[in-house]
Amino acid sequence: MTIKFFRNKVVEVEPLSSTELEVSWRLTDDLLKLEVSLKVQIPEMEILEADASVGRFPPKNCRDAAEKIKMVEGVSIGGGLRKIVRGILGGEDGCSLLVDAVLESANAVILHFTRPGIQILESLTDPQQKLDGLQAMLKSNPKLVRSCISFQDDSPIMKGLNL
Amino acid sequence: MITFNRSQLIGAEFVGEDTIRFNGIQEDHIYGMEVRMDVCLKDATIQSVSGNMKRYTNDVCPQAVPVLQTAVGLSLREEGWDAKVMREIGRKGCEHFAEIIIECGRCLNQALASRDLWEAICQDPTLDQQQFLDDRGATS
Repeated sequence: MTIKFFRNKVVEVEPLSSTELEVSWRLTDDLLKLEVSLKVQIPEMEILEADASVGRFPPKNCRDAAEKIKMVEGVSIGGGLRKIVRGILGGEDGCSLLVDAVLESANAVILHFTRPGIQILESLTDPQQKLDGLQAMLKSNPKLVRSCISFQDDSPIMKGLNL
Repeated sequence: MITFNRSQLIGAEFVGEDTIRFNGIQEDHIYGMEVRMDVCLKDATIQSVSGNMKRYTNDVCPQAVPVLQTAVGLSLREEGWDAKVMREIGRKGCEHFAEIIIECGRCLNQALASRDLWEAICQDPTLDQQQFLDDRGATS
């Protein structure tokens, strides 16, 4: 059966230097086309530059996306980002697509930093070493605790941890 | 070089008069997941959902597959439906399954508008497409 609608979303992180990341977020579907690009200073995680372009049939509140996105310049990726971005770009006159773009881009930056640690854990063959590694990761990043089924209190990974 | 890439693909097909079926795929450098869900067109409730976890980071992750069933009965028109999916499917199961369900849900209105625009163009190839979408509120 042919499909009647197709959406393709891509987000990419590319280090430009030891102090700067570029994030490219793109959405294309039957009706929409939107691209957002962020430059992020590391380790401060501050959004230095933000650009957006819209094509096809943008929602009314997103037709000025190129101007609206500038409002996140200076915002840092970290605690409270969701609330800040929704406050700046969302709401009745806001563009929810831009909110999604910025939050998904920020999530990709975090996963860019997460990937090496996961690759180290994967390289461990001893199950106890692997468990120790996961528990060390939780201790250093307590926000992960109870964030998914693996890190709920009854998970074997949480056994013995008082987090 | 690219150090992290995530791609989401969402396809929507209409199954009979009453149901829209979403197939969602999310692939990135770390995780690989798929979700299929049927949604009732009348009230936008999720009728059925299934998922496949292809790549994940630890042995507990696959226990999130049965948690997907808590999405059945949820309406995609309900206020805060996306936060509920993240809370019930994401936190109690897998965040990445929740991300796919949320993206499928966001596509509901777009898929309906896309289907209707296609049919309208078939009737009138000279149709002002932007005007058609504005008139039906698809771009508000």
